[in-house]
Amino acid sequence: MTWTCELTEARLSDYLDGLLSTDERHAFDMHVNACAHCVPLVAGVSHLLTGLRSIEQIEPPPQLVTLILNQTIGPRETKKGWRLAFGWLNALASARFAYSAVSLIATVLILLTASGFSLRKPKLADLSPVNIYRTADRQAHLVYARSTKFVSDLRVVYEIQSRLSKDNELPTTPETTMPQSAPGKAPGSTDGTRPATPNQQNRANGIGRELELLAMQVPLIGSALSGRLLGRRIP
Amino acid sequence: MAPGNFGVKLVTLAGFEADDTLEQDAQLVQQCLQGDGSAWEELVRRHTRRIFNICYRFTGNGTEAEDLSQDVFLRVYKTLGSYRSAHGGFATWMTSVTRNLLIDHYRRTKRDRITDSLEDAMPVVENKESVGRRPDQQLLLGELSHQVQTALTKLSPELREAVILRDLQQLEYNEIRQVLDVPEGTVKSRINRGRIELARILQQMGVRPS
Repeated sequence: MTWTCELTEARLSDYLDGLLSTDERHAFDMHVNACAHCVPLVAGVSHLLTGLRSIEQIEPPPQLVTLILNQTIGPRETKKGWRLAFGWLNALASARFAYSAVSLIATVLILLTASGFSLRKPKLADLSPVNIYRTADRQAHLVYARSTKFVSDLRVVYEIQSRLSKDNELPTTPETTMPQSAPGKAPGSTDGTRPATPNQQNRANGIGRELELLAMQVPLIGSALSGRLLGRRIP
Repeated sequence: MAPGNFGVKLVTLAGFEADDTLEQDAQLVQQCLQGDGSAWEELVRRHTRRIFNICYRFTGNGTEAEDLSQDVFLRVYKTLGSYRSAHGGFATWMTSVTRNLLIDHYRRTKRDRITDSLEDAMPVVENKESVGRRPDQQLLLGELSHQVQTALTKLSPELREAVILRDLQQLEYNEIRQVLDVPEGTVKSRINRGRIELARILQQMGVRPS
């Protein structure tokens, strides 16, 4: 593609705005780099564009908006008296402010409750740093003890459940589970001897023994279990 | 010099009318037409700075720019009912009104205008965004702004408005076509001629490429 000085001048803005095709751009560059007449032209306009884009907007005079509004919709109502004094309250009637206020109040209430301050019987002494520290310390220890006990109880329950499930999974044979009738004895009649112990009875007795062992292993609930579970003998 | 490297960044210029801005402007215009004064106030606050800058860059005079900005908003307020969002964004329409008023003003004051003097220009405050710059950069930018402003006033109004809209207001070609109401080829030609002419004026003023 043959490029000339006239073309360079005519397409200079297209070149600087990136609107030339690859071939045109290449031809433009080849010509300008070899043409002493075009180099200052391109450099000058490039410099101008860089300068123009770095120029910042000018701030209009501060009174301009007021002047325009006065000319179009007339002078705005100026607040006087109590409206001027309490006009700032209008800014508080926004959803954002209400949300912030509710969040702040909730945070203060949580902190007061945690520090042991009673809202029903408020006392000035409750707000002293020493009392707040003591109450917070007591509450922290209480929460820790409760959580420890809760975890311990959970462990016991889990142990009981696992033992029970283990016992239920014991293999059974038809000989041991099927009731055996005595030979020569009519069904439903008794022969005066001691009746055979059912397998369910054996299993319940086994659970009772397991609980006894478990109570021995866990001293925390030993007394409770021995009082409640072990005291109630399984028949 | 390496091919294709003339020290200019090929920046993709974004027009002033993003989709959300278009929607917000259209909504505010509707509210204005229903008599909502606060919507009009919001429109004025959103566009004052841009309109003032166009006026200032075109006239080179702060007082004239302030008066012309008021005239623009007054005309927009009176003719707001004629605005149709289907024909383009509100900002583009407002820029058209501004451009027409500027051309009227240019013709009206042609005889008694002194184009190469900025002595009577009111002092203007540079943008607050410039606070973070170093003092030497600030000084250079302020000097460049002054030089460019002087050179702009020596351009013909057709070329001046094209350069202002493209390179100072960063409008897209199709937006400038709508504002000037001329074909896009004419817009490109005016921008190109305006840039070359402006560069020559700056060179004559002794501003050399760095």
